[in-house]
Amino acid sequence: MTARDYTERDIHMSLDGELPAEEAADFQAWLAANPEMKARSSRFEADRAGLRRALAGVLDEPLPERFARIVSGERVPARRAVLWRSAAAAAAIFAVGALGGYLAGVGDLGLGASADDRIAEQAIAAHTVYSAEQRHAVEVGADDRDHLLGWLSKRTGVTLIAPDLAAEGFELVGGRLLPSGGKPAAMLLYEDAGKNRISVYVTGDGEAKARGTYADADGGPSAIYWLDEGYACAVVGTLPKERLADVARSAWRQLAAGAGIG
Amino acid sequence: MKDRKAAILAEIPRLRRYARALLHDADAADDLVQDCLERALLRLDNWQTGESPRRWLFTIMHHLFVDQMRKSRRRSEVVMLTLDDSEALSSPATQTETIASREIVDALQAVSPDRRAALLMVGIEGFSYAEAANILGIPAGTLMSRIARGREELRGLLDDASRRRMIRVVER
Repeated sequence: MTARDYTERDIHMSLDGELPAEEAADFQAWLAANPEMKARSSRFEADRAGLRRALAGVLDEPLPERFARIVSGERVPARRAVLWRSAAAAAAIFAVGALGGYLAGVGDLGLGASADDRIAEQAIAAHTVYSAEQRHAVEVGADDRDHLLGWLSKRTGVTLIAPDLAAEGFELVGGRLLPSGGKPAAMLLYEDAGKNRISVYVTGDGEAKARGTYADADGGPSAIYWLDEGYACAVVGTLPKERLADVARSAWRQLAAGAGIG
Repeated sequence: MKDRKAAILAEIPRLRRYARALLHDADAADDLVQDCLERALLRLDNWQTGESPRRWLFTIMHHLFVDQMRKSRRRSEVVMLTLDDSEALSSPATQTETIASREIVDALQAVSPDRRAALLMVGIEGFSYAEAANILGIPAGTLMSRIARGREELRGLLDDASRRRMIRVVER
């Protein structure tokens, strides 16, 4: 056999039709002899098939008539502004926000500031202010955990647990109560061995579902947030994106389970 | 000129599919297509005779997508998390979307934009490595590693999702 050593790279090339035809048989033999690689190849192939299936319908959808008009050179009137989140979800947030603001007689929802932006901004502000504190970062420390959680749950009206983030390297420092657009919000502060701090911000707000990332342009802390079933949570920190995402995912899963969401 | 316009029209369904896969949200995707068409019309003269309309249009679209990603990084809606169905934004692009389809397109949104574009160009739109690298303006080696990493990332996200589902089933 003159077979060269194949690698995972060849799996992709083969899948994409980029493997030279004369190597095809050799490659198949290699796959057959490497069950693990074969399984990989099959999974990637199945994923591609799944994606193709999921997207196939788009080709058959009727085209918006404005497209043909643009191509024929017609000036098409300005369309609505692009909303950088699900347009439907944004519409729902705007509607809920406007109504909520009206009923409460508080105009704290300025135009363009949807509930998720507002929560993310408040969470970032809280993090910026309190995570810098050494001695007074929290009102109640982790050594008094039960009291902390009972107190914050009672004040915010949401069932609050303290996510166990030990697997991500973070230990609870403690928490505090904060104002959030006239409502109480809870902030839990965590710290890792390298003294990096993150905070988990929770408030009973946001009826629409949304999730996303909110980052300062200047490299400050970013927030990953969820709004769901009247429960809003933002995880804030200056960690590398992937690490923050991991921590946030873990925190949300535990918080949601604790609050009986989903 | 007429031929060119007809050629552009014929590419719209594919442009839409690509945009939808990149952005998921149907309206945002159509906005991207519209931007692409408008820019293409303005630059009709730059279209070299013999150049494939598909490649030309996808290149324009890609530049617009990169611009958008750059702008949106500020307040990024580059959603990087795929949770399960109940936590996902409910904005089905089509009524007939199955849960599996939604899950995979949702997961795709969590793949980094560079990798997502590379994956789609080759895996869905059927461009060769050489063509896709040309459209994306990157060396072929970079394209290949983006495809490989993109596939890994997507698979990992789908594995996570199914693990979570299993945990849920056990909890019930």
